[in-house]
Amino acid sequence: MEVSEGREILRTEGLSKRYGRIQAVSDMDLRVYDSEVYSFLGPNGSGKSTTVGMILGLVRPTRGRALVFGSDMATHPWPALRKIGAVIEAPAFYPYLSGYNNLKALAITLGGITNARIDEMLELVGLRDRGHDPYKTYSLGMKQRLGIASTLLRDPELIILDEPTNGLDPAGTREVRDLIPRLARQGRTVFLCSHLLHEVQAVSDRVAIVKRGRMVAQGTVAELLGSGQYLRMRAADNEALTHALAGVPFISAVERVDGFVRATAPVAKAAELNQALATLGIYVSELTPWEMDLESVFMELTGEEAEA
Amino acid sequence: MSIQRLMAGEFFKLRKRMMTWILAAIIVGLIILLYSILWSISGKAGGYFDRDLGRRVQYEELRRGIFLQAGVPFALQIIAQFGSLLAVIFAAGAAGSEYSWGTVRLMATASSGRLRLITARLIVVCVMVALGTLLAVVVALAYSAVITAYYGGADFSFITSEFLREQFLSWLRTVYVMAPFVALAFAAAVIGRSTLAGVGVGLAVSFLEPLIGSLMRLGGPRWENVPNYLISANRSVVLAQNKLPAGLPEFSFGPSKRDLERQGAFSPEAAAITLALYTVVFLLAAFIVYRRRDITSASMG
Repeated sequence: MEVSEGREILRTEGLSKRYGRIQAVSDMDLRVYDSEVYSFLGPNGSGKSTTVGMILGLVRPTRGRALVFGSDMATHPWPALRKIGAVIEAPAFYPYLSGYNNLKALAITLGGITNARIDEMLELVGLRDRGHDPYKTYSLGMKQRLGIASTLLRDPELIILDEPTNGLDPAGTREVRDLIPRLARQGRTVFLCSHLLHEVQAVSDRVAIVKRGRMVAQGTVAELLGSGQYLRMRAADNEALTHALAGVPFISAVERVDGFVRATAPVAKAAELNQALATLGIYVSELTPWEMDLESVFMELTGEEAEA
Repeated sequence: MSIQRLMAGEFFKLRKRMMTWILAAIIVGLIILLYSILWSISGKAGGYFDRDLGRRVQYEELRRGIFLQAGVPFALQIIAQFGSLLAVIFAAGAAGSEYSWGTVRLMATASSGRLRLITARLIVVCVMVALGTLLAVVVALAYSAVITAYYGGADFSFITSEFLREQFLSWLRTVYVMAPFVALAFAAAVIGRSTLAGVGVGLAVSFLEPLIGSLMRLGGPRWENVPNYLISANRSVVLAQNKLPAGLPEFSFGPSKRDLERQGAFSPEAAAITLALYTVVFLLAAFIVYRRRDITSASMG
C-alpha cells in the first residue's frame, strides 16, 4: 500500500521509559501521518503498551517526548486527548453498567454527545440488541466491540486500538479488518497495536516493529517486505554458484542454506539472474522466488513466534 | 471541559452503582434497628446511673431520646459513629474500583486533567456522603414521628428557629467529623490503587486509633497528651458540641464532655482546625500522587 507523508499527527523523539532496572522503552522515534493506518508490532513485553501509555500521557517518559497534534503529552496532553479515541490493552469499562450506560457515562464526561450518537455507535459495532445488558455479562468479543464504539464516540481524528480483534470470532475480525481502512478513508489516523500480522499486513500503510523496547524496523509494508525478498536456487556446483552470485549487482547477500543458495534480491529479477548465470556457464536446476510475509519479517527481526 | 461535566459523569456512575444503594440501605437499617431497640428497652422497668447527669436514669426516660424533639441528635450520633465507617467504604470504593476495573485509564484520557478528574470525584463523594446523612436524618425523623404519635405526643411547639439552627449545626458538625476519614480512605485507595487499601486503612484507623489513644493515656505524662492530636479525640470534641434537649440522658457513643475535659482535649475550635489539617494532608497526598504517578495496570508491558 503506497503512502504519502501528509500532516504529522504523532511524533515521538527519543522516547524512553525505565522502571527501576528495567528499560521498558529505548529511544523510540515514531512518525505517524494524517489518515494513515500505522501498525505497531512487537512480542509481549516489548514495550508497546508502555509506548502507547506515553503517547496518551498516562505514563511519563524517563527521557524524550511524545507530541500528538503538536501537544507534548507529558506536560500538556488535554488539547490532543480531545481528538484521540483509544482502547489500551484490553477494553475496560464499569462492570455494573450496561454497554449503553458505559458509553453514556463517557458521553457525559466528554460532553456534546447525544443519545442518538450512542445508539449509532452501538449499531455500528453490532451491540444494539445487547446494549442494555450489564457489561459484566459480555463476552470478550462484545467487550472489544464496545471498546471500539467508545473510541469512535467522540468522533476522533486519531484512533489508537490495542489488539482490537482479540476475542472476536472470524466474522467480527473481518468486520474490524474492514472498519480500520474505512476509518482511514474517512480522514482518521489509526494507530494499531497487534499480534495478528496477516491482519496488519492487509490494512496497514506503515508498520513499526519493536523488540525489547527498541524499534527494529519502520516503514511501509512494501518496504519491510521488500527487504525480505529472496531467490532460492540450486546448481550442480553450489560453490561456483555462490561465487558467481557475489558479482551480481542487484544481489545484496548470499548464503548457503540446507543444500540451497539463497540470494537476497528482488523476486522480479529472477529471469535476469537466470540469464546472467547462464552466460557464466552456470545452469541452475532450481530457481524459486521467495517472498517473506510480514509474519516472517516479524519473526526474523524479533526472533519471536507471531500469533496466527 | 468543565469540572461540572466531570462531576456529572462521576455522579451518574455512582448513582447507578449498587454499592451506593446498599450502603444507604445499611445506614437506614441501622437507624431503624437502633431506634427500635431503644424503644423496646424504654418499655422495661428499672434504670441505670448516668455519671454526667449525676443521677439514676429510668429506662422509660430513654423514650424521650427517640421522641421527635431528640430524634435528630440521636440519629446524628449513630451517623457519626457508623456512618463514618460506611463513608470510608463508599469513598474507597469510588476511588479504588477505577484501578481494579482498569477504567482509570479510560477516564484519564476522557477528562480534561487529572487534578480536575480527582477533584470532581472527591466532590461527588462528599456530596453523596452528605446526602446519605440527610437520608438517615429524614428516616430518623419519620420514625421518631411515629413513636411520638404512638404515645400521643403530637406537640410541635419545640420547633423554633433556634431549634432548627441547632439541628442544622449538629448535622454540619457530624458531616465535618467524617471528612478526615473520607479523605483518608480516598487517599489510601488512590495511593494503594485499590478499594481494599482504602477500606483497610480507613477502617483500621477508625477502629485502632481510639484504642491506641486509650493505651497512650495510660502511658504516663510522656504519652497521655498525644491522643489529643489524633483524629478520634478531636472528632469527639466537635461532636460533643451537638446539644440534646435539656434534661435528657446523653446518648453518646464516644467520651462525654466531662471525660474530654479531664483528658485535656483541645477546644472545639482547635479540634476543628486539627481535623481540617488531617483532611488537607490526606487529600494533598492523594492529589500529588495521582498527578505525578503513571497510570498503568499490573499487566502493562
